[in-house]
Amino acid sequence: MQLRYVFTELRSGLRRNLSMHVAVIITIFVSLTLAGCGMLLQRQADATAETLGNELQILVNLCVVDDPSDSPNCGGGAVTNQQRKEVERALKASPEVESYEFQSQDEGYAEAQEIPEYEPYFKGTDPILTVEDWPPQYWITLKDPKKAQGVISSVTGLDGVAGVKDQRKQLKPVFGIIDALKYGSWIGALLLLLASVMQVATTIRLAAMARRREIGIMRLVGASTLYIALPFLLESLVTAVIGVGLAAGALAAFIKFAVQDGLEGAIQFVPWIGWDDYIETLTGTLPPGIVFLGPALTLIPTLLLTRKYIKV
Amino acid sequence: MIRFEKVTKNYPGPGTPALDRVTVDIDKGEFVYFVGQSGSGKSTALRLVLRELRPTSGRVYVAGKEINRMAGWKVPRLRRQVGTVFQDFRLLPNKTVTENVAFALQVIGKSRREINKVVPETLEVVGLKGMGSRMPDELSGGEQQRVAIARAFVNRPMIIIADEPTGNLDPQTSVGIMNLLEDINQRGTTVLMATHDHGIVDQFRKRVVELENGKVIRDEAAGSYGFQHDDTP
Repeated sequence: MQLRYVFTELRSGLRRNLSMHVAVIITIFVSLTLAGCGMLLQRQADATAETLGNELQILVNLCVVDDPSDSPNCGGGAVTNQQRKEVERALKASPEVESYEFQSQDEGYAEAQEIPEYEPYFKGTDPILTVEDWPPQYWITLKDPKKAQGVISSVTGLDGVAGVKDQRKQLKPVFGIIDALKYGSWIGALLLLLASVMQVATTIRLAAMARRREIGIMRLVGASTLYIALPFLLESLVTAVIGVGLAAGALAAFIKFAVQDGLEGAIQFVPWIGWDDYIETLTGTLPPGIVFLGPALTLIPTLLLTRKYIKV
Repeated sequence: MIRFEKVTKNYPGPGTPALDRVTVDIDKGEFVYFVGQSGSGKSTALRLVLRELRPTSGRVYVAGKEINRMAGWKVPRLRRQVGTVFQDFRLLPNKTVTENVAFALQVIGKSRREINKVVPETLEVVGLKGMGSRMPDELSGGEQQRVAIARAFVNRPMIIIADEPTGNLDPQTSVGIMNLLEDINQRGTTVLMATHDHGIVDQFRKRVVELENGKVIRDEAAGSYGFQHDDTP
């Protein structure tokens, strides 16, 4: 195979359809950047859920005398030992529970007194909160921070349970923002990826039209389909490589300037994504990294269309 | 060398078949004219030999192989054994004479050394020695057709298919082109030529296969164009 001819054709093909190639590169660049952002945000959401979810627990408040919750489960006054045993039995039976810990009224009250913000409630000889007001509690650690519905529903209705507090709810707004950005990126990426596939298809059609006489002669003199298609495939590959390069640069800038230099300093309790996640977004297999996604986006339509237009 | 065995070719839509149970045998080294009115099936027959088309029924053999059953990836190899020449020359306007002829070898992967050796030889065979650096638009019609023949012959194919090669040329130039095709034929290449050109067929007496409505109505060695079917293009 004479590669000199192929590369000459590649050069002239790129020159001839320069504006179309630039349009394809820009579309691929933007769509891959958005797709990459979606992947990074997914990783950010997973990391946040993993780390913070493990730290945040489910809290089961048991009834006290004259319980302020007005829960129907507290009709009999303070929780009895029998009722506590029922709660523990439910926790042990739940497959979602990693471990649990009982905190008595005395322990909880003592711990709360150490928190400066609560100081006014404990002041003076007749404090607002006394040890009798402080509920005995179960602190539950989950196996999977995302799965708690089973254990919450299994203890919520039990006698002696004043209420269940899910600390993970505090993170909901954060996850909400991340999810909105993630899905927004994916929808934007999907639309642009569709646009880039259509642009590639149009470019190939125009290129095949411009070279129809040459292609006709090549077919007649016995050039193989691969040889005829190779300049088209290489043109597509070149545009994909440039698009991927630009998207990789934009995502690197996002990690460096937005995450590392910006968000990491401003919000420290969240574990932020880093270069490992960046590499995974570029070269991962599921979802496919942009290094694979870019060439696939251009080569697949090129292969399909060259089969149609330059069939031997 | 080439065998049409009860070949029928229908195109989509109503109408008579382009070829209707045609059986023709062409031996190696023969020169055969396909004559007949427009739409009689001449070009269809040639395109079947190139495997540009497949018959609706029947079989087409080239060099002993049934080409309508040939796998798609083998078709380029078949076409390297069949040179083609058209009425409209089909040269690449942005390439010189040499480049046009070399193109046929480049795209099938021949080495540069071989191309540099074979192309000037072929240009000499077709009478274009010293004209390799000319562009197609600097050549006369006859010269352009010679370039097209050079491109078809440069890979030394077993068969040359010529579809109305003199259709765009004046009678004197046509004679020159026919002399060239005859010369190539005498070097052992089988030539199949579809034509309307009475004068040429009558002057260069070869085997004539006459088609009418897709049927072979005459197959005559050293035949004339046919006074009973005096068709004007």
